[in-house]
Amino acid sequence: MKKKKKVFFEATSIAAHQLKNPISIIKNYLEVLSSEEIGKLNEKQKEYLSDIAEILEKMRRIVEYLLEISRIEEGKYKLKKEKFSLEDLTENVIKDFKIWAQATNTEIFFKREKNLPKVFSDPIRIRHVIENFISNAIKYKKPEKKGKIIISIKKRGKFLLFSCKDNGIGIPKKDFKKVFTKFYRSEKATQLDPQGTGLGLFIDKATIEESGGKIGFKKNRGSGMTFYFTLPCSK
Amino acid sequence: MIQKKKKILFVEDDKFLRKVYKEKFERAGFEFLEAITGQEGIHKALIEKPDLILLDLMLPGKNGFEVLIDLKSNPKTKKIPVIILSNLGQESDRKKGLSLGALDYLVKPEISLSEVVNKVKEYFLKLEK
Repeated sequence: MKKKKKVFFEATSIAAHQLKNPISIIKNYLEVLSSEEIGKLNEKQKEYLSDIAEILEKMRRIVEYLLEISRIEEGKYKLKKEKFSLEDLTENVIKDFKIWAQATNTEIFFKREKNLPKVFSDPIRIRHVIENFISNAIKYKKPEKKGKIIISIKKRGKFLLFSCKDNGIGIPKKDFKKVFTKFYRSEKATQLDPQGTGLGLFIDKATIEESGGKIGFKKNRGSGMTFYFTLPCSK
Repeated sequence: MIQKKKKILFVEDDKFLRKVYKEKFERAGFEFLEAITGQEGIHKALIEKPDLILLDLMLPGKNGFEVLIDLKSNPKTKKIPVIILSNLGQESDRKKGLSLGALDYLVKPEISLSEVVNKVKEYFLKLEK
Protein backbone atom coordinates (compact mmCIF):
# COMPACT_ATOMS: atom_id res chain seq x y z
CA MET A 1 0.00 0.00 0.00
CA LYS A 2 2.79 2.37 0.99
CA LYS A 3 4.61 1.59 -2.24
CA LYS A 4 1.44 2.21 -4.27
CA LYS A 5 0.97 5.57 -2.56
CA LYS A 6 4.58 6.53 -3.28
CA VAL A 7 4.22 5.63 -6.95
CA PHE A 8 0.96 7.60 -7.12
CA PHE A 9 2.51 10.77 -5.70
CA GLU A 10 5.60 10.44 -7.85
CA ALA A 11 3.34 10.15 -10.89
CA THR A 12 1.32 13.16 -9.69
CA SER A 13 4.50 15.16 -9.32
CA ILE A 14 5.67 14.23 -12.83
CA ALA A 15 2.25 15.05 -14.32
CA ALA A 16 2.18 18.40 -12.53
CA HIS A 17 5.68 19.25 -13.79
CA GLN A 18 4.63 18.28 -17.31
CA LEU A 19 1.60 20.56 -17.11
CA LYS A 20 3.67 23.59 -16.13
CA ASN A 21 5.07 23.98 -19.62
CA PRO A 22 1.81 24.04 -21.63
CA ILE A 23 0.27 26.36 -19.07
CA SER A 24 3.06 28.88 -19.39
CA ILE A 25 2.90 28.61 -23.20
CA ILE A 26 -0.84 29.33 -23.26
CA LYS A 27 -0.15 32.26 -20.93
CA ASN A 28 2.34 33.62 -23.45
CA TYR A 29 -0.12 33.28 -26.33
CA LEU A 30 -2.79 35.04 -24.27
CA GLU A 31 -0.36 37.82 -23.49
CA VAL A 32 0.39 38.41 -27.18
CA LEU A 33 -3.31 38.30 -28.14
CA SER A 34 -4.43 40.53 -25.26
CA SER A 35 -1.76 43.14 -25.98
CA GLU A 36 -3.44 43.61 -29.41
CA GLU A 37 0.00 43.70 -31.02
CA ILE A 38 -1.16 41.36 -33.75
CA GLY A 39 -4.64 42.78 -34.21
CA LYS A 40 -7.42 44.73 -32.53
CA LEU A 41 -9.92 42.83 -30.40
CA ASN A 42 -13.57 43.58 -29.88
CA GLU A 43 -15.02 43.78 -26.35
CA LYS A 44 -16.41 40.24 -26.44
CA GLN A 45 -13.07 38.82 -27.54
CA LYS A 46 -11.32 40.76 -24.76
CA GLU A 47 -13.81 39.40 -22.23
CA TYR A 48 -13.31 35.79 -23.38
CA LEU A 49 -9.53 36.14 -23.30
CA SER A 50 -9.77 37.51 -19.79
CA ASP A 51 -11.94 34.51 -18.81
CA ILE A 52 -9.37 32.13 -20.28
CA ALA A 53 -6.63 33.92 -18.34
CA GLU A 54 -8.60 33.47 -15.12
CA ILE A 55 -9.19 29.77 -15.77
CA LEU A 56 -5.55 29.31 -16.66
CA GLU A 57 -4.52 30.97 -13.42
CA LYS A 58 -6.66 28.45 -11.57
CA MET A 59 -4.95 25.61 -13.46
CA ARG A 60 -1.57 27.06 -12.57
CA ARG A 61 -2.54 27.20 -8.90
CA ILE A 62 -3.80 23.61 -8.95
CA VAL A 63 -0.54 22.44 -10.49
CA GLU A 64 1.46 24.31 -7.85
CA TYR A 65 -0.73 22.80 -5.13
CA LEU A 66 -0.34 19.29 -6.57
CA LEU A 67 3.41 19.68 -6.51
CA GLU A 68 3.24 20.87 -2.89
CA ILE A 69 0.97 17.96 -1.97
CA SER A 70 3.28 15.43 -3.61
CA ARG A 71 6.18 16.91 -1.63
CA ILE A 72 4.14 16.72 1.59
CA GLU A 73 3.05 13.11 0.97
CA GLU A 74 6.54 12.02 -0.02
CA GLY A 75 8.01 13.65 3.10
CA LYS A 76 9.97 16.09 0.96
CA TYR A 77 8.17 19.26 2.07
CA LYS A 78 10.97 21.44 3.38
CA LEU A 79 10.86 24.98 4.68
CA LYS A 80 13.56 27.63 4.44
CA LYS A 81 13.46 28.76 8.03
CA GLU A 82 14.73 32.11 9.24
CA LYS A 83 13.98 34.76 11.87
CA PHE A 84 11.31 37.24 10.82
CA SER A 85 8.64 39.55 12.18
CA LEU A 86 5.20 37.97 11.90
CA GLU A 87 3.75 41.38 12.68
CA ASP A 88 5.45 43.10 9.71
CA LEU A 89 4.60 40.24 7.38
CA THR A 90 0.94 40.38 8.43
CA GLU A 91 0.84 44.13 7.95
CA ASN A 92 2.16 43.73 4.41
CA VAL A 93 -0.37 41.05 3.54
CA ILE A 94 -3.25 43.15 4.88
CA LYS A 95 -2.04 46.07 2.73
CA ASP A 96 -2.16 43.83 -0.34
CA PHE A 97 -5.73 42.81 0.45
CA LYS A 98 -6.99 46.36 0.98
CA ILE A 99 -8.43 46.93 -2.50
CA TRP A 100 -10.14 43.54 -2.70
CA ALA A 101 -11.56 43.98 0.81
CA GLN A 102 -12.96 47.41 -0.06
CA ALA A 103 -14.45 46.11 -3.28
CA THR A 104 -16.28 43.38 -1.37
CA ASN A 105 -17.47 45.63 1.46
CA THR A 106 -15.19 44.04 4.01
CA GLU A 107 -13.17 45.73 6.72
CA ILE A 108 -9.96 44.25 8.10
CA PHE A 109 -8.77 45.13 11.62
CA PHE A 110 -5.34 44.28 12.95
CA LYS A 111 -4.75 43.92 16.71
CA ARG A 112 -1.40 42.97 18.15
CA GLU A 113 0.35 42.99 21.48
CA LYS A 114 3.29 45.33 21.97
CA ASN A 115 6.93 44.18 21.70
CA LEU A 116 6.21 40.91 19.97
CA PRO A 117 9.30 38.76 19.40
CA LYS A 118 10.28 37.43 15.99
CA VAL A 119 9.31 33.93 14.91
CA PHE A 120 11.33 31.16 13.27
CA SER A 121 9.85 29.68 10.11
CA ASP A 122 9.68 30.17 6.33
CA PRO A 123 8.34 33.71 5.67
CA ILE A 124 7.23 32.93 2.11
CA ARG A 125 5.19 29.89 3.15
CA ILE A 126 3.78 31.65 6.21
CA ARG A 127 2.75 34.51 3.93
CA HIS A 128 0.78 31.96 1.88
CA VAL A 129 -0.96 30.72 5.05
CA ILE A 130 -1.95 34.25 6.09
CA GLU A 131 -3.09 35.08 2.55
CA ASN A 132 -5.17 31.93 2.46
CA PHE A 133 -6.83 32.70 5.82
CA ILE A 134 -7.69 36.27 4.78
CA SER A 135 -8.83 35.39 1.26
CA ASN A 136 -11.08 32.65 2.66
CA ALA A 137 -12.55 35.14 5.12
CA ILE A 138 -13.29 37.57 2.28
CA LYS A 139 -14.59 34.98 -0.19
CA TYR A 140 -16.90 33.32 2.29
CA LYS A 141 -18.53 36.39 3.77
CA LYS A 142 -22.30 36.59 4.02
CA PRO A 143 -23.26 38.24 0.74
CA GLU A 144 -25.87 40.53 2.29
CA LYS A 145 -23.75 41.63 5.28
CA LYS A 146 -20.71 43.89 5.71
CA GLY A 147 -17.66 41.71 6.18
CA LYS A 148 -15.54 42.13 9.31
CA ILE A 149 -12.20 40.42 9.73
CA ILE A 150 -10.17 40.74 12.90
CA ILE A 151 -6.56 39.64 12.69
CA SER A 152 -4.68 39.37 15.95
CA ILE A 153 -1.24 38.32 17.13
CA LYS A 154 -0.57 37.48 20.78
CA LYS A 155 2.31 35.94 22.67
CA ARG A 156 1.51 32.59 24.26
CA GLY A 157 4.51 31.17 26.14
CA LYS A 158 7.26 30.40 23.64
CA PHE A 159 4.88 30.83 20.72
CA LEU A 160 3.04 33.58 18.86
CA LEU A 161 -0.64 32.95 18.28
CA PHE A 162 -2.02 34.33 15.02
CA SER A 163 -5.77 34.37 14.52
CA CYS A 164 -8.16 35.47 11.82
CA LYS A 165 -11.76 35.97 12.93
CA ASP A 166 -14.54 36.61 10.44
CA ASN A 167 -18.31 37.06 10.45
CA GLY A 168 -18.85 34.97 7.33
CA ILE A 169 -20.95 31.95 6.40
CA GLY A 170 -18.96 29.60 8.63
CA ILE A 171 -18.42 25.86 8.23
CA PRO A 172 -21.12 23.29 9.04
CA LYS A 173 -20.30 21.22 12.14
CA LYS A 174 -20.61 17.97 10.19
CA ASP A 175 -17.61 19.06 8.05
CA PHE A 176 -15.25 19.96 10.90
CA LYS A 177 -13.20 16.78 10.54
CA LYS A 178 -12.64 17.39 6.84
CA VAL A 179 -11.49 21.01 6.94
CA PHE A 180 -7.75 20.28 6.69
CA THR A 181 -8.11 17.38 4.28
CA LYS A 182 -7.33 17.54 0.57
CA PHE A 183 -10.04 18.86 -1.74
CA TYR A 184 -12.47 19.68 1.08
CA ARG A 185 -15.02 22.33 0.12
CA SER A 186 -18.30 22.98 1.89
CA GLU A 187 -21.41 23.23 -0.29
CA LYS A 188 -21.75 26.96 0.38
CA ALA A 189 -18.08 27.55 -0.35
CA THR A 190 -18.46 25.89 -3.72
CA GLN A 191 -21.40 28.15 -4.52
CA LEU A 192 -19.64 31.35 -3.43
CA ASP A 193 -16.29 30.58 -5.05
CA PRO A 194 -16.49 27.93 -7.78
CA GLN A 195 -12.81 28.57 -8.63
CA GLY A 196 -11.51 27.36 -5.23
CA THR A 197 -9.40 24.21 -5.14
CA GLY A 198 -9.90 22.94 -1.60
CA LEU A 199 -6.16 22.44 -1.24
CA GLY A 200 -5.02 25.60 0.55
CA LEU A 201 -5.77 24.59 4.13
CA PHE A 202 -4.21 21.14 3.66
CA ILE A 203 -0.95 22.81 2.62
CA ASP A 204 -1.27 25.43 5.38
CA LYS A 205 -1.45 22.61 7.94
CA ALA A 206 1.74 21.05 6.59
CA THR A 207 3.50 24.43 6.66
CA ILE A 208 2.55 25.18 10.26
CA GLU A 209 3.32 21.68 11.53
CA GLU A 210 6.66 21.64 9.72
CA SER A 211 7.39 24.92 11.54
CA GLY A 212 6.72 23.29 14.90
CA GLY A 213 3.40 25.08 15.45
CA LYS A 214 -0.25 24.15 15.57
CA ILE A 215 -3.14 25.09 13.33
CA GLY A 216 -6.86 25.00 14.08
CA PHE A 217 -10.19 26.73 13.96
CA LYS A 218 -13.29 27.33 16.04
CA LYS A 219 -16.82 28.44 15.34
CA ASN A 220 -17.57 31.94 16.61
CA ARG A 221 -20.46 32.57 18.99
CA GLY A 222 -22.27 34.87 16.62
CA SER A 223 -21.38 33.99 13.08
CA GLY A 224 -18.29 33.00 11.13
CA MET A 225 -15.12 31.19 12.02
CA THR A 226 -11.76 31.89 13.65
CA PHE A 227 -8.77 30.20 12.07
CA TYR A 228 -5.53 30.29 14.01
CA PHE A 229 -1.97 29.01 14.09
CA THR A 230 0.98 29.19 16.42
CA LEU A 231 4.64 29.60 15.52
CA PRO A 232 7.66 29.19 17.76
CA CYS A 233 9.41 32.42 18.72
CA SER A 234 13.01 32.65 17.59
CA LYS A 235 15.68 32.18 20.24
CA MET B 1 22.48 55.93 -38.38
CA ILE B 2 20.79 52.58 -38.88
CA GLN B 3 21.54 50.27 -35.98
CA LYS B 4 22.07 46.60 -36.66
CA LYS B 5 19.38 44.39 -35.23
CA LYS B 6 20.48 42.40 -32.20
CA LYS B 7 20.52 38.70 -32.88
CA ILE B 8 18.86 36.40 -30.35
CA LEU B 9 19.24 32.63 -30.43
CA PHE B 10 16.45 30.72 -28.70
CA VAL B 11 17.31 27.13 -27.82
CA GLU B 12 13.99 25.50 -27.04
CA ASP B 13 12.42 22.21 -28.08
CA ASP B 14 8.79 23.33 -27.78
CA LYS B 15 7.54 24.58 -31.15
CA PHE B 16 4.68 26.63 -29.68
CA LEU B 17 6.97 28.48 -27.33
CA ARG B 18 9.43 29.16 -30.17
CA LYS B 19 6.60 30.51 -32.30
CA VAL B 20 5.24 32.93 -29.72
CA TYR B 21 8.71 34.11 -28.66
CA LYS B 22 9.64 34.71 -32.29
CA GLU B 23 6.51 36.82 -32.75
CA LYS B 24 7.22 38.91 -29.67
CA PHE B 25 10.95 39.37 -30.19
CA GLU B 26 10.66 40.22 -33.87
CA ARG B 27 7.99 42.80 -33.06
CA ALA B 28 10.37 44.23 -30.46
CA GLY B 29 12.97 44.73 -33.21
CA PHE B 30 15.25 41.73 -32.74
CA GLU B 31 16.51 39.18 -35.23
CA PHE B 32 15.33 35.85 -33.90
CA LEU B 33 17.05 32.52 -34.51
CA GLU B 34 15.88 29.17 -33.28
CA ALA B 35 17.43 25.85 -32.32
CA ILE B 36 15.51 22.78 -31.25
CA THR B 37 18.22 20.71 -29.57
CA GLY B 38 21.23 21.55 -27.47
CA GLN B 39 23.57 20.33 -30.18
CA GLU B 40 21.88 22.54 -32.77
CA GLY B 41 22.09 25.45 -30.32
CA ILE B 42 25.85 25.04 -29.95
CA HIS B 43 26.25 24.75 -33.72
CA LYS B 44 24.20 27.88 -34.42
CA ALA B 45 26.05 29.78 -31.70
CA LEU B 46 29.32 29.04 -33.50
CA ILE B 47 28.04 29.86 -36.99
CA GLU B 48 25.66 32.75 -36.34
CA LYS B 49 27.44 34.44 -33.43
CA PRO B 50 24.26 35.67 -31.75
CA ASP B 51 24.34 38.67 -29.39
CA LEU B 52 22.48 36.71 -26.74
CA ILE B 53 21.22 33.17 -26.18
CA LEU B 54 17.99 32.22 -24.44
CA LEU B 55 18.49 28.67 -23.27
CA ASP B 56 15.97 26.11 -22.06
CA LEU B 57 17.24 23.40 -19.70
CA MET B 58 15.17 20.33 -20.47
CA LEU B 59 16.26 19.67 -24.03
CA PRO B 60 16.44 16.44 -25.99
CA GLY B 61 19.96 15.00 -26.06
CA LYS B 62 22.33 17.45 -24.45
CA ASN B 63 20.53 19.26 -21.63
CA GLY B 64 20.77 23.01 -21.09
CA PHE B 65 23.44 22.78 -18.38
CA GLU B 66 25.65 20.69 -20.68
CA VAL B 67 25.07 23.17 -23.50
CA LEU B 68 26.07 26.02 -21.19
CA ILE B 69 29.27 24.23 -20.15
CA ASP B 70 30.16 23.67 -23.82
CA LEU B 71 29.45 27.29 -24.76
CA LYS B 72 31.45 28.69 -21.87
CA SER B 73 34.43 26.41 -22.47
CA ASN B 74 34.77 27.29 -26.15
CA PRO B 75 36.75 30.52 -26.77
CA LYS B 76 34.54 31.25 -29.79
CA THR B 77 31.30 31.24 -27.79
CA LYS B 78 32.28 31.88 -24.19
CA LYS B 79 31.59 35.62 -24.39
CA ILE B 80 28.03 35.23 -25.69
CA PRO B 81 25.68 36.07 -22.81
CA VAL B 82 23.27 33.26 -21.96
CA ILE B 83 19.96 33.67 -20.15
CA ILE B 84 18.46 30.43 -18.89
CA LEU B 85 14.71 30.19 -19.37
CA SER B 86 13.36 27.11 -17.69
CA ASN B 87 10.43 25.52 -15.91
CA LEU B 88 12.80 24.29 -13.20
CA GLY B 89 12.32 26.72 -10.36
CA GLN B 90 14.37 25.02 -7.64
CA GLU B 91 17.02 27.18 -5.96
CA SER B 92 19.65 24.48 -6.63
CA ASP B 93 18.99 24.69 -10.41
CA ARG B 94 19.18 28.48 -10.33
CA LYS B 95 22.48 28.39 -8.42
CA LYS B 96 23.91 25.79 -10.78
CA GLY B 97 22.94 27.83 -13.87
CA LEU B 98 24.47 31.04 -12.53
CA SER B 99 27.62 29.30 -11.32
CA LEU B 100 28.11 27.87 -14.81
CA GLY B 101 28.17 31.39 -16.20
CA ALA B 102 24.58 32.24 -17.13
CA LEU B 103 23.79 35.94 -17.12
CA ASP B 104 20.39 35.37 -15.58
CA TYR B 105 18.02 32.54 -14.65
CA LEU B 106 14.35 33.05 -15.45
CA VAL B 107 11.57 30.66 -14.46
CA LYS B 108 8.98 30.43 -17.25
CA PRO B 109 5.81 30.17 -15.17
CA GLU B 110 6.93 33.11 -13.02
CA ILE B 111 7.70 35.57 -15.79
CA SER B 112 5.65 37.03 -18.63
CA LEU B 113 6.84 37.17 -22.20
CA SER B 114 7.01 40.99 -22.08
CA GLU B 115 9.20 40.76 -18.99
CA VAL B 116 11.61 38.46 -20.82
CA VAL B 117 11.79 40.90 -23.74
CA ASN B 118 12.34 43.78 -21.32
CA LYS B 119 15.14 41.91 -19.54
CA VAL B 120 16.89 41.38 -22.85
CA LYS B 121 16.38 45.04 -23.85
CA GLU B 122 17.71 46.20 -20.47
CA TYR B 123 20.78 44.06 -20.92
CA PHE B 124 21.62 45.67 -24.29
CA LEU B 125 20.89 49.15 -22.95
CA LYS B 126 23.35 48.56 -20.11
CA LEU B 127 25.96 47.42 -22.60
CA GLU B 128 25.59 50.63 -24.61
CA LYS B 129 26.14 52.87 -21.57
